[in-house]
Amino acid sequence: MSGSFAGEPAGTPLGDALREQAEDLYEDAPCGYLSTLPDGTIVRVNRTFLAWTGYTAEELLDGRRFADLLTAGGRIYHETHYAPLLAMQGAVREIAVELRRADGSRLPVLINAVLKRDDGQPLMIRTTIFDATDRRRYEQELVLARDREREMREHAERLEREAAEVATVLQQSMLASVPLAEPRITVGAHYRPAVEALEVGGDWHDAFPVEGGRRVGMVVGDVVGRGIQAAAAMGQLRSATRALAGAGLGGPSEVLARLDAFATGVPLALLATLVYADLDLESGVVRYACAGHPPPILVAPGAAPEVLWEGRSLPLGFAPDVPRAVSGRLTLAPGARLLLYTDGLVERRGEPLDRGIDRLAVEISEWRLEPPQPFVDGLVGALAPGDVNPDDVCALCVQFGRP
Amino acid sequence: MVFAHGFGCDQNMWRFVAPAFAADHRIVLFDHVGAGGSDLTAYDFERYGMLDAYAEDLLELLRELDLRDVVFVGHSVSAMIGVLAVNAEPDRFGALIMVGPSPRYVDDDGYVGGFTADDIDELLGSLDSNYLGWSSAMAPVIMGNADRPELGEELTNSFCRTDPDIARQFAEATFRSDNREDLGRVRVPTLVLQCARDAIAPQAVGEYVHAAIPGSAFVLLDATGHCPNLSAPAATTAAIRSFL
Repeated sequence: MSGSFAGEPAGTPLGDALREQAEDLYEDAPCGYLSTLPDGTIVRVNRTFLAWTGYTAEELLDGRRFADLLTAGGRIYHETHYAPLLAMQGAVREIAVELRRADGSRLPVLINAVLKRDDGQPLMIRTTIFDATDRRRYEQELVLARDREREMREHAERLEREAAEVATVLQQSMLASVPLAEPRITVGAHYRPAVEALEVGGDWHDAFPVEGGRRVGMVVGDVVGRGIQAAAAMGQLRSATRALAGAGLGGPSEVLARLDAFATGVPLALLATLVYADLDLESGVVRYACAGHPPPILVAPGAAPEVLWEGRSLPLGFAPDVPRAVSGRLTLAPGARLLLYTDGLVERRGEPLDRGIDRLAVEISEWRLEPPQPFVDGLVGALAPGDVNPDDVCALCVQFGRP
Repeated sequence: MVFAHGFGCDQNMWRFVAPAFAADHRIVLFDHVGAGGSDLTAYDFERYGMLDAYAEDLLELLRELDLRDVVFVGHSVSAMIGVLAVNAEPDRFGALIMVGPSPRYVDDDGYVGGFTADDIDELLGSLDSNYLGWSSAMAPVIMGNADRPELGEELTNSFCRTDPDIARQFAEATFRSDNREDLGRVRVPTLVLQCARDAIAPQAVGEYVHAAIPGSAFVLLDATGHCPNLSAPAATTAAIRSFL
């Protein structure tokens, strides 16, 4: 035989083995070997292939085509991928198919093939076949593992989506309450969730009767974090504010001090910020206090908007032993309004809060002739356009009497 | 003259046939979205679950190039995509050439398509095991270089390579389709080219298509396999030319 082999002398076992006959080399090669015409008709096959598949040479050489040995699905793959590739590239490598054995069982194999041409015209196809039983088993395990992983991921994503929906419903149900039926005031409120946020935030607004209706309590707050937990903490703080303020025991500064005590027992409410104000419906006297929250704004008829900087102290639970600052105090003229809001309305990345508040003042001048509801809608629409605002935005306006 | 490839590979399928018509036709070759050198990011799993999306793409291409009197040559599933397009805008087409068409691959009550539903599942399994060779590491090379297809061609089996999920969906759209009803509405001169020994679209199916399309011509090629455009390009070219 020809070919290259190490120069072992004949007469030694290794030397003789290296000089084995081409026939043996072909027939008992450690791979199946098939030769076919360009149309797939089998014209030569080695012993290894026959041993693996259980066919006789006579059966296969009787006009049988290679594709006939494949499963139906494999045949489609052969016609749509394997055969075109072979015609176009002259060779294919590592195609995975299953052969049907003579007894009907299946043999997973990997095949390589080359198209031999004569003067440019296809002459025959040489194909080697490798038993891939173990490899296929391993691949199937990989495929199974991949499918399982995908299933679990989809399940997790579904749960996450559902949780986001639950949080939204929870939050909306907590924000919705019976409107305050009080003829001496007009209320406008607006809540807009952040764009592209999968989870709701923890902003809230509320206006409620205090001391049996002598006063109106109003609050806008912002809980740290997002999602169901933030929504739940918001709900707790909202209820706590109503309960602690509703009795009218003390002013806003005292309300914040009691909320401090409450927040230390509710970890998710810690570091929430809020502004609380109450309005005496007889006198128009307003008292207010801020816990780490942007300052409320007074919009009085015939006057420029006034930022209310008194009564400021730290977020809830930040320094529970430090006394809260004394409440700010002013009197609303008939027709004057108080505007409470969260930082989403004024804050922009990389700029000081003052500039945001200046911007708000400009928009207030623009919208102040509108009644409270369109007033807050206009402010939110102008300062936090629906398609860009990255944070939740919440605003509450209470107007006292009429000008 | 617009050539469309079938399920499996790309426009290279026409490399032995299309040049023969270049002298007297404007030749347009393209890859369906999801195949060959197409921009895989344009593939939409919502949209391409039905063959209609491919027909819409084809019509959009014809409109964009402002092609009229089009000779559409569709191989395999693209023959049926051609039927859908021709029925939607018959005025745009001069002729329809269907190479190895099948309006339905799965056997149905009294109809022999050649395959059972299980066979199609088996094909999907076969796709799965072969696409294990598609590594996610190579995907960006193929997907991100639509303008440099030579990068993709250096890869093994590149003409038939695509994202496995896309291949699976195209296979389902192809082999689970049933467009028998659409054949009778074709009003464009049509040639059905059938291989004598086709393992995917048997002769009886080709004859069914011929019988269902009013006034269509039928040519039986003495060829084996599903791709006469590769295995018998001279006979394929001659049959198309004599029809035109």
